Amino acid sequence: MLAISTSHLSKTYTSGFRGKHQVNALQDFSLEVESGQIFSLLGPNGAGKTTFIKILLSLTRQTGGSAMIMEHEVSDDRARLAVGYLPENHRYPGYLTGEQVLRSFGALSGVTGPLLQARTMSLLELVGMKDWRNVKVKKYSKGMMQRLGLAQAMINDPDLLFLDEPTDGVDPVGRAEIRDLLRNLKTRGKTIFLNSHLLSEVELISDRVAILDKGRLLRVGTVDELTTSGERYQIGIEGMLPEAFLVEAAAKVLTFSQTQSSLTVDVGSIAELNALIDMLRRHQVSIVSIAKERSTLEESFLNLIKREVAS
Amino acid sequence: MKLLALIRMTLRELAAKATIIILAAISTIVLLGLAAAVSTNVTADGTVLQMFGQQASPPLAEEQIVTTIRGLQAGLAGGLFTGIILFGIFATAGVIPDALEKGTVDLYLSKPIARWELLLGKYLGAVVAIFVNVLYFMIGAWLIFGLKCHVWDFQVLLATLTITFMFACLYAIVAFLAVLTRNTAVSIILVYLYLFVLGPILQNREATLYLISENTVYRGIVDGLYYIFPQLDAMRAGGAKQLLVQGMDWKPFVQSMLSASAFFFGGAVLLKRRDF
Repeated sequence: MLAISTSHLSKTYTSGFRGKHQVNALQDFSLEVESGQIFSLLGPNGAGKTTFIKILLSLTRQTGGSAMIMEHEVSDDRARLAVGYLPENHRYPGYLTGEQVLRSFGALSGVTGPLLQARTMSLLELVGMKDWRNVKVKKYSKGMMQRLGLAQAMINDPDLLFLDEPTDGVDPVGRAEIRDLLRNLKTRGKTIFLNSHLLSEVELISDRVAILDKGRLLRVGTVDELTTSGERYQIGIEGMLPEAFLVEAAAKVLTFSQTQSSLTVDVGSIAELNALIDMLRRHQVSIVSIAKERSTLEESFLNLIKREVAS
Repeated sequence: MKLLALIRMTLRELAAKATIIILAAISTIVLLGLAAAVSTNVTADGTVLQMFGQQASPPLAEEQIVTTIRGLQAGLAGGLFTGIILFGIFATAGVIPDALEKGTVDLYLSKPIARWELLLGKYLGAVVAIFVNVLYFMIGAWLIFGLKCHVWDFQVLLATLTITFMFACLYAIVAFLAVLTRNTAVSIILVYLYLFVLGPILQNREATLYLISENTVYRGIVDGLYYIFPQLDAMRAGGAKQLLVQGMDWKPFVQSMLSASAFFFGGAVLLKRRDF
């Protein structure tokens, strides 16, 4: 089942006299997210990430295309029955306590009675806010607000969770706890749509990632697909390369870079890689590892954005 | 249930604001003053109305004292209405713009509630808060006139509904302006501008705006403008007649209800079309 499905989605913001100034926040944006995944949307500021989430939650209307969540048109109020949302820079009423926030927003989600009471308590415990449940939220720190916001987003036990910068202001221990929580939700079949600037975190937990810039989808794929850089391999070796190998490699115009314990080589094909391995073995070089070189998600992201700017 | 949750949140918000507490405190002070001031004394010639222990009327027959007390109650209700208009609007005008602020509206609208439900919940929350305040005052006044003057007049309690209805009609304009401007201060200024400038001019249009031109189209527009808004003065006069048991003219109430519905509907349409 598709948790999210958009087709040729576009959004143009207009301002000024007779809409003279136009900004294309989203252009021809088509995306499908399967249920039960942790999906992350990446992009520089102003890329259109928040606009995309707002269209899915019907906070903003698209100017073109269509969007569905949980098999309902986004304009249908029922689409939000099984959805939880943690917005960026959320503002809970300062006069409410943490427990009252969960009860109030739980009731707005259609959860009532003993079920609401039970969920409120278990979620406060889950996010580590049980001891603060009777304190007014105006006294909460940023990290505590994020924890409460996460609990609020989960109060209706949603099948699809939108999290906009969920670890913003949270300490490293708290961030690790949130990551574990998201993994746990995934094992229960929940879909998590993440919008975060912390690419190292996204890399740790995401099944699939989409990169967005200037309202256009640049790439979508698994973290592996996005971080694997061409046909570059790192071969771990024991000892130094023998002189005879270096001579033969020079004769075959084979280029590689070498450190004390490894060499990094660009090959045109797997056959070429195998030929290199055969050559190393022929020269009695002991191979301890062979790994396709990966860049970090951050490096991949920056490279992609740089290429986009250059083009 | 969702609507009730919104009303409950709004009541909590208003309870947390000092303004609505001050409104209740002012009501308490006025009631204490009333309790200290008004009383009746039965003499051989009839019942004498007393203010602060001093004779304030000649000896009156029972029917006359009831009529006098009803006059006092009508004056009190009129004063309360003015107070509610001035202070109640000020105390509750922020409810809708606050809910539409960035970071807050996202939380509300990400829930499975329609936008008109959000507006209605906030609107009803403010109206219920004012109703509770007016009811508190009117029950107090009813008890004071009953215990101290022996006039137990249920019309006083009915005035709670009349005053709340008048407030609700005016608050529909506030709701519309709040959605339009998303600014509490601007909403208050515009509604006060209507109350103190545009409203009186339209009310007395024959002596003001009619003088500008005798053109029938122009005068039709002026009349139309008058009937677009709730007829507060006519309702106030109707409410006073109700307290004096002189019958009730329902026409301004019906017209005002239609006007308020139109303003609320306009606000709901604006809200539905808005991007957040």
